[in-house]
Amino acid sequence: MSLAWLIPALSVAAFVLLTFAGRRMPGGGAIVSLVAVAAGFGLAVYGCLDLWAADVEVNVGPGPFAMDFVNAGDLSLQLGMVIDSLSITMLLIVTFLSFVIQLYSVGYMRGDPRIHWFFAVVALFTAAMLGLVLANNLIILYVSWELVGLCSYLLIGYWWEKPSAREAAKKAFVTTRIGDVGLLIGILVLFKATGSFEIDQIFAQLRVGAIPGETVTLAAILMFLGAMGKSGQFPLHVWLPDAMEGPTPVSALIHAATMVTAGVYLVARMFPLFVASDVAMLVVLTIGTITAILAALLALVETDMKRVLAYSTISQLGYMMFALGTGSVTAAMLHLGGHAFFKALLFLGAGAVMHSTGGIVDINRLGGLRRKMPVTTWTFVIGALSLAGFPLLSGFWSKDLILSSAFDGGHWVTFVVGVVTAGLTAFYMFRVIFRVFFGEARSDEARNAHPAERLLTLPLVVLAFFAVVFGWLGSQLVGDPFGRFVFAVEQVEAHGESIWVIVASSAAAIAGILTAYSVYQRNRPPAASIRAAAGGIHTFLAKSAYIDAMYQWMIDNVSLGLAAFVAVFDRRVVNDAGVDGAGASVRLSGRTLRRSVTGLLYNYAALMVVGILALAIGLVLAG
Amino acid sequence: MLYLLVGLNLIVGAAIFALPADRKNLPRWFALATAVVSLAMTIAVFAGYDRDVGGYQFQRSLEWLPSIGISLDVGVDGISSPMVLLTGVVVFAAVLISWGIEDRPREYFALMMLLVAGTFGVFVVLDLFFLFFFYEVAVLPMFLLIGVWGSTRKAYASMKLVMFLLAGSILVWAALLVLYFDAGIGSFNILELEQAGVDTTVARVIFPLFYVGFGVLAGMWPFHTWSPDGHVAAPTAVSMLHAGVLMKLGAYGIIRVGMQLVPEGASYWLGIFLALAVVNVVYGAIAAMGQRDLKFVIGYSSVSHMGYVLMGIGSMTVVGMNGAVLQMFSHGVMTALFFAMVGVIYDRAHTREIGAFSGMAKVMPKFSVLFIVGGLASLGLPGLSGFAAEFLVFVGTFETAPWMAVLGIIGVAITATYILRLVARMFFGPVMEKWQGLPDANRLETAVGVMLVGLLVLFGVYPQLIVGTIDVSAIPLLASLGG
Repeated sequence: MSLAWLIPALSVAAFVLLTFAGRRMPGGGAIVSLVAVAAGFGLAVYGCLDLWAADVEVNVGPGPFAMDFVNAGDLSLQLGMVIDSLSITMLLIVTFLSFVIQLYSVGYMRGDPRIHWFFAVVALFTAAMLGLVLANNLIILYVSWELVGLCSYLLIGYWWEKPSAREAAKKAFVTTRIGDVGLLIGILVLFKATGSFEIDQIFAQLRVGAIPGETVTLAAILMFLGAMGKSGQFPLHVWLPDAMEGPTPVSALIHAATMVTAGVYLVARMFPLFVASDVAMLVVLTIGTITAILAALLALVETDMKRVLAYSTISQLGYMMFALGTGSVTAAMLHLGGHAFFKALLFLGAGAVMHSTGGIVDINRLGGLRRKMPVTTWTFVIGALSLAGFPLLSGFWSKDLILSSAFDGGHWVTFVVGVVTAGLTAFYMFRVIFRVFFGEARSDEARNAHPAERLLTLPLVVLAFFAVVFGWLGSQLVGDPFGRFVFAVEQVEAHGESIWVIVASSAAAIAGILTAYSVYQRNRPPAASIRAAAGGIHTFLAKSAYIDAMYQWMIDNVSLGLAAFVAVFDRRVVNDAGVDGAGASVRLSGRTLRRSVTGLLYNYAALMVVGILALAIGLVLAG
Repeated sequence: MLYLLVGLNLIVGAAIFALPADRKNLPRWFALATAVVSLAMTIAVFAGYDRDVGGYQFQRSLEWLPSIGISLDVGVDGISSPMVLLTGVVVFAAVLISWGIEDRPREYFALMMLLVAGTFGVFVVLDLFFLFFFYEVAVLPMFLLIGVWGSTRKAYASMKLVMFLLAGSILVWAALLVLYFDAGIGSFNILELEQAGVDTTVARVIFPLFYVGFGVLAGMWPFHTWSPDGHVAAPTAVSMLHAGVLMKLGAYGIIRVGMQLVPEGASYWLGIFLALAVVNVVYGAIAAMGQRDLKFVIGYSSVSHMGYVLMGIGSMTVVGMNGAVLQMFSHGVMTALFFAMVGVIYDRAHTREIGAFSGMAKVMPKFSVLFIVGGLASLGLPGLSGFAAEFLVFVGTFETAPWMAVLGIIGVAITATYILRLVARMFFGPVMEKWQGLPDANRLETAVGVMLVGLLVLFGVYPQLIVGTIDVSAIPLLASLGG
């Protein structure tokens, strides 16, 4: 696979071309980025077959980009890529989904005045994610990681005239950046301990026990902070629901292919590091478990269709994380892949609904769309069933693998939470389905909805197919090809499916669906009475568990307060009192100004000399 | 060639004074011609510096006052050659941006050329006396440039700036004399003084004088307050030169004089100054977040970013030093871009209140893109040169003082916050009625912006281009520190 460098490079080239020339191309030059990512997919398939035959991990060079990126002192950084089953799996998922979503966007974004910019950034987004996946050293990984963040910023804020979009974009970037601080420090910790940024060299030292245990734990937890930001783990999940402000295909991309999976991938990529620390594994497990249930609860009361999907993504990412925490990379990656397909499907379905109703996302204003939009409806149902873990669909296999892993590992709390969450997932997804596609239309827009056009439904059908079959790759019934493929990177024995786990999770899923049917279709009991009975709990959830409010309070009162304080402090204390030495609060009117500055050279100098002396004395006293 | 570089600017500067006052066009053409020739020469110096040979190159010597050992020795090494290039670039950009100056262009461009000559002088001389001389030549025109052509409390700002810098100079001058007499070789030549060395106790006493004296110009906390005021008051091109190049003189002085001539003092003190540098970073960033005037934001952001330079120096590692010098270059380009763009908007809207704008990306797309790229460079986005520089600084600092590096990295997150708040507020959101029809950046301004952005991208994608040169001189420098 010496051509691997082409996979991201093609999309970068598409970005450059579209940025400068896209404006003058028909349809914003979508064809350019489509061809680039399709070629990338072709190369990934080729690489996959190659790897399947050879069955070894390969480090490959960066083709014509073989150069020193930075070479300073004892630090030397070259570009390089790793091709193994993990990165190939991600390459296939990312390129394929990016292609399908871009195809859909051709229809969805038609007529948008900045369409060339849309496709340019989507190409860069894809390229950055591919670079992240292929990186064989942590710096290239971090660089790509940040570029992914930038692209999400640009795309979430794509309609930047809307204040809500601009705020959402900022929130996404800043929140993930907080996690990135941890990631960068984690990388530096590893560099200090091993003298290398190259992932396999770090692992080599890890294997021989050259890194002290506390350092491993520290580095793993710091890097996990980065993963928490990107993959929307509690408490850094707040940006993801707001990220719905971008165009719907962007949501699909972010949720399926190019952004939130990055955190899961990071943990999977660095898995030997995590496994080496029980504490880190426990942190991953705990955070994943909390995220899974909390997001599912928040999804219950959300009335915005896209935000329900967003919370469901957060919840499913929680599943992936705790799967990693129980030690199963296979389960996490299988769920990542399956989720990518059905979540892209659900988002694109939601986009089709919005496209047909003039942008309605409030489930209380929709209804009865199944007659108008049959393809969208039934593909959406398939996606929801798969997400809910309905037997024999994609999500079923991966969810079972995850729950089995928790079950066998004796992580009882996580297991129970996982089963309950599965029930909640089925419930909130079918709540959406019954409200949106069944019953009576509750608004004029819904009544006048038109069927989705071919360019929008074709991707839905393709994705629905994968939402059914993808999980089978991980099924014991067909010999678990996925598990055997990914097993190369796994440290812990893969688990088989236990019949009790299957029964429990299937029962939860079906119960959830039936309850939703009863409440939202038959009105027994009516949703309003449940709301009334829940009282405070409902309010609590409807306010997103007050997490956003808490952050907002902290930003307003702590961060901005501190900033305002420092700004004033600098002007009034350091400058006026300390520097001008002009005594009491000086409103710098012309006259006092002149009085305070002229002839006070003596003051300035004296002040500095005093400062230096104080410093010197302090130092001498300190020894 | 180095003589020519300094001399040309000095002579043209003087010549512009002699031009007839009524020919308003002549001075700017003179200045432009000089800037173009200078830029070409600086590129030649940077590209012509042979990394495999290392050491000082393009050396020349000219005796001046042999009785006390002053001679006009010049030469560049891996640290000064990128600085020479930076100066060439920023000056070229600044002259273009000043094209529309109508108020006494003769004096304006003459002073500017003088300032530039001084700056080149500091970067190329290898004689302490002349280094100090050029240092003053570079700083003093600022007073007039701000005082005459400035705005917003200009008398106050220019006075304060000069007071501060003079106070710094006094410290440097005192330390310099001590160094000269203690070395006792009767020479001001930097290379000879480096050979001679000084007594350890003396080194420990004078290093902080050098550090603080030069540090004032580098925006060192808590002696930074002249800097935001100066930026705000200065006309656009002067802000560009000031933040882009002049602040680097301070950091350069610390490296060239402080670290190189009194290494024992440096290794003794730098640990403490590292902590102050971190204060620079974090305090500057937090203060920037609290500002409402665009120029104040950039001014404090400069204080914060110069903190990374001082951190890299304070880390006492080769990697950190590489980062520091790269950051000097990168910040110089970035901040020149910023101030150029602030000038663009101020010329048109006559306000710099961030709150007064919204949705400018629609009204002035070219201007907005250029400004936003500058902002992204500022918050350390990979692919732009600021990232490579800050990253090296962090790696270096983490080796010696992990907690300081952690605080520095948090500083980057704060930077992201204030930059994105500003960008979101000004450029995105609904378009305001008031600014409808405001003309976008004109061709000249766009060209300047594109050139600077191009450099940020070039050195961001391929930092080795410049790091390879810095490294050549950073290694022996740090070796002398025992690091």
